[in-house]
Amino acid sequence: MIHRSSREHSTEPLALDVEGLTVTYGKEPALWNADVRLGRGALAAVVGPNGAGKSTLLKAALGVVPRVSGRVRVLGEDPARRRRLVAYVPQRTSVDWDFPTTVLDVVMMGTYGRLGWFRRPGRNERALALGALEQMELADLAGRQISELSGGQQQRVFLARALVQDAEVYFMDEPFAGVDAVTEQSIASLLGHLAQRGKTILSVHHDLATVPRYFEHAVLLNRAVQAVGTVKEVFHRGNLDRLYGGRVPADVPEFAST
Amino acid sequence: MSAPWVELDPTLVVVAAGTTAVGAVSGALGCFAYLRRQGLVGDVVSHSALLGVVGAFVLAHAITGSASRSLAVLVPGALIAGTASLALARSVSNRTRLNDDASLGVMLSIFFGGGLFLLRWVQRQSPPIPGHTGLEDYIFGMAAAMTRADLWMVFSLGGGALLLLFLLWKELKVFTFDPEFSRSLGLPSHRLDLLMMALLVAGVVIGIQTVGVILMIALLVTPAAAARQWTSRLSTMVLLAASFGATAGAGGALLSASEAGLPTGPVVVLLATAIFALSLLLAPRRGLIARARARRALGSTPPPAAGGAV
Repeated sequence: MIHRSSREHSTEPLALDVEGLTVTYGKEPALWNADVRLGRGALAAVVGPNGAGKSTLLKAALGVVPRVSGRVRVLGEDPARRRRLVAYVPQRTSVDWDFPTTVLDVVMMGTYGRLGWFRRPGRNERALALGALEQMELADLAGRQISELSGGQQQRVFLARALVQDAEVYFMDEPFAGVDAVTEQSIASLLGHLAQRGKTILSVHHDLATVPRYFEHAVLLNRAVQAVGTVKEVFHRGNLDRLYGGRVPADVPEFAST
Repeated sequence: MSAPWVELDPTLVVVAAGTTAVGAVSGALGCFAYLRRQGLVGDVVSHSALLGVVGAFVLAHAITGSASRSLAVLVPGALIAGTASLALARSVSNRTRLNDDASLGVMLSIFFGGGLFLLRWVQRQSPPIPGHTGLEDYIFGMAAAMTRADLWMVFSLGGGALLLLFLLWKELKVFTFDPEFSRSLGLPSHRLDLLMMALLVAGVVIGIQTVGVILMIALLVTPAAAARQWTSRLSTMVLLAASFGATAGAGGALLSASEAGLPTGPVVVLLATAIFALSLLLAPRRGLIARARARRALGSTPPPAAGGAV
């Protein structure tokens, strides 16, 4: 269980409250009886081996996968009723970057939820998107065709789109995957800033070595939730060996011992 | 040059208007099929439509006693058969271990084979069913058979499809580019998927009289592929593909009217292919010539426009 202060007993709802969640694809369980609770302002990494259900956990929190059993609440409500307060950064490789569209256009998609059916993005939405591009240091790429972007730029475009959503809770699927060191730093500081402003972040993360540096909380997942807590509490060798079946590389540094 | 057909033969006006509209609509709708990599889906719909067309003809004859080859009768048949084959393919791939392509292929075979079989049966009836002689034109297309009523069918169905495309533009765009993100926004992905299918079916069905069920796929995909070479904006791509399709449609009708014995459908498709070939060669940035030039300028490094996600 995660909380920044003793808000747990106050009336303020948790940012994410997952209880006994089971999700299956076909007959295989992707998530098994998972419990995850995140207080507002949490900056949490979802860690676990391939096929552990990390993306599925995000999708369940977004309310886009059918659940077999269990309950998901985002800010105290069903995810379907909280879409305007939630932003999503899918895996960068899940889309075709040769799609005929521009950087600005993709970022403006972050306003579509607010616009609702039929309405077109206008000057306001454009300004919002340009602001987010500025924040991600992409302003001069606004008119660029997206097939011309590097991996790091693609990732920052997706993050800019999430910023435009102006959400309270951010679900991200491997935002650090395949980016260079400079981009990695700028993404890390973006996450830190968001958390400082009270936004909640739940992000799938693969690089165990950087978990303690970039995140304050960790969800250790392998179909079932193995541990949830602050990085200090749960991100130690014992838990990780269990999570990865003893195949954790020795160079994963500095767990809770510091 | 003086051409006899400029004297506005009313039949030719109808035919040319029809092929132009068909080209424009299928060009525009084809862009989404192209970007979603659903060309095969369009092919299955058009081949399956043959069974619907012949079936509707037989049914109409059985019910009314008189046979009709008007689109008002045949289009609903084509719509039903096209949709049914897609729905069956989907349920086969959901319930068995066959993948999507295989189950689509199976449905294409069943429906197209069934259509050919039924067609042969109709042709062998004695006494012959009046009007059946034009039915086989649906295989390769017979634009010249288009009547004024058919034209209205093309306009209303095609116009309706384009109107939906316009109204739901941003929803269809985000759903096509990033389906997972669009679901997270709360857009109903299942219904948008069905809508895309319905638009595709509509685009196919209005075109089969002109170019026939076999060549219809070319009219869907070729203008889109050509347009993609010239632009990196979806809206421009759709408008360009519509113009390419319309040009091919109009050109095909006029050319085949000017020269006896030229079949309209194949000419339309060949014109579209010519536009595609030119685009592939000449387009700035993506065109073969431009890329060869850029490659030479950069030494052996490929130009940036060539790459997608790495």
